[in-house]
Amino acid sequence: MRIFILLILFVASILFLSFDTENDLFNYPTSWQKPYYDFTKNPLSKEKIELGRRLFYDPILSKDSTISCQSCHSQYSAFTHIDHSLSHGINDSIGLRNSPALMNLAWNKSFMWDGAINHLDMQALAPISNPIEMGENITNVVYKLQNSKIYPKLFYNAFNDSIITGEHTLKAISQFMLTLISSNSKYDSVMREQSDFTQQESNGYKIFKANCSTCHTEPLFTNYEFENNGLKVDPSHNDYGRMRITSKSYDSLKFKVPTLRNIEFSYPYMHDGRFKRLSDVINHYTNGIEESETLSKKLKTKINLTSNEKVDLISFLLTLTDKEFLFNPKFGYIKK
Amino acid sequence: MINKYIKLCICILIFFSKLHSQDIISKINFDSSLNKIKLELNKYILLNKNDSISIETIKFYISNIKLAIDDSIIFQEPNSYHLIDFENISTKSISLNYHKNIIFNKIKFNLGIDSATNVSGALGGDLDPTKGMYWTWQNGYINFKFEGKSNICQNKNNEFQYHLGGYLYPNNSIQEITLNIKNNKDLNININLDNLLPNLNLSDKNHIMSPSLESVKVSKIIANSFEIK
Repeated sequence: MRIFILLILFVASILFLSFDTENDLFNYPTSWQKPYYDFTKNPLSKEKIELGRRLFYDPILSKDSTISCQSCHSQYSAFTHIDHSLSHGINDSIGLRNSPALMNLAWNKSFMWDGAINHLDMQALAPISNPIEMGENITNVVYKLQNSKIYPKLFYNAFNDSIITGEHTLKAISQFMLTLISSNSKYDSVMREQSDFTQQESNGYKIFKANCSTCHTEPLFTNYEFENNGLKVDPSHNDYGRMRITSKSYDSLKFKVPTLRNIEFSYPYMHDGRFKRLSDVINHYTNGIEESETLSKKLKTKINLTSNEKVDLISFLLTLTDKEFLFNPKFGYIKK
Repeated sequence: MINKYIKLCICILIFFSKLHSQDIISKINFDSSLNKIKLELNKYILLNKNDSISIETIKFYISNIKLAIDDSIIFQEPNSYHLIDFENISTKSISLNYHKNIIFNKIKFNLGIDSATNVSGALGGDLDPTKGMYWTWQNGYINFKFEGKSNICQNKNNEFQYHLGGYLYPNNSIQEITLNIKNNKDLNININLDNLLPNLNLSDKNHIMSPSLESVKVSKIIANSFEIK
């Protein structure tokens, strides 16, 4: 009987401990909504996150071992590809769109600019398989991982199984991406009443709330909807966005509203990276909106801003920079 | 005290093994026929005087298998997802584990993967994305792959390639199939290509590679060519 009680105590303590570590692995401000990602189907563990992090930085995922996830999603640029309006792949191929910044992904319902991907776990499959990105396929990736020196052991440590599967590979990559939480910008510290905006930032915040926040909703700075924000169609791409996925004319020219967190470092902007500077973006909203049937209702009334107001707005946007996130060694390359 | 637990465990084990012996394992075998003869893959078969066809791939998902008497379901396979690949003989039979007293006259199953499963993230076993039955540029399972060559196909390599799927309205391609069973041992399911091929427009609609109304249409044609042999 004593053994029985000890056993129960042991199991209970393990449960307690694992609960506790999960909290350590995934932290977000209490004022935020609950994440959308279902963690019960892919419970976080230190080993799985580390495995995912290794995979994220490993070019083994690409056909000729030249491109890793970080090639287009590097930490110092909030996990996007700066300087390139369109992202690059193997053999110097150029993609159709600008790679999105990666952060706070547990709150996303769909992925990609057009929402083509319905689940974070399946996201990595798209760049792995795209002939102009990594040009590989998941079956061959699993084969290469299984035959590598390090991975069977790492998969065993993470999933208790040294037979590598597509499911485990994708779940591990998800785990690392889920930990990429940015919640410690100056804006966040002002919200926690631990610091104050300057006068200029404070003016900018008012302008932001009056003109931008219905789509870029606080605190995650996106409403996760698809909107047509009045960009002219680039005739060399003819990219109609969400319509490609739904085949519905009312989705023509709609793209996912991106978060504005870390926007200072995630240039160039828009789905095709057409704007290099934040001032270009703001000038687009004040003077560049192209009327069309699917134009967002929120943009039908013209936004008027003086040049001082524009500067104030930018100074607010810069308070969304989270240095702790951008330079956190936990998210960086694993030194072998 | 410990002795007592061991005894209890033995009792439970005996109980379950008794229960288990009441189950029978039945096999559902899948096959395909052309010109009323069992199909061989990668072999040119004459369709008429002028035309021939070689089938290279028949690969599909069967899910949610149920047994029924008329309209009442009496058995439902738990976690029922099976990938059948005609190239891989071991996948052509599904073992079904049900109580031996069950009498049924219908088998029901889905051809394809339901929408809830399509949005559930990374899954293992037959649903693992390494099985080559998952679209990557736009998420979703491919329910049915049907590929081959025929001089009827008016394209460069005389190929046809149907990758059928789609889980969102109006492109949901999953098909529910109900087949009547003559006696409980007969669970040989045949895809009758003699019924299927004349309904496909092989000459010009020979490539379907994404969720579309065309995919729904062809999925229905394929579902209608399933029969009990």
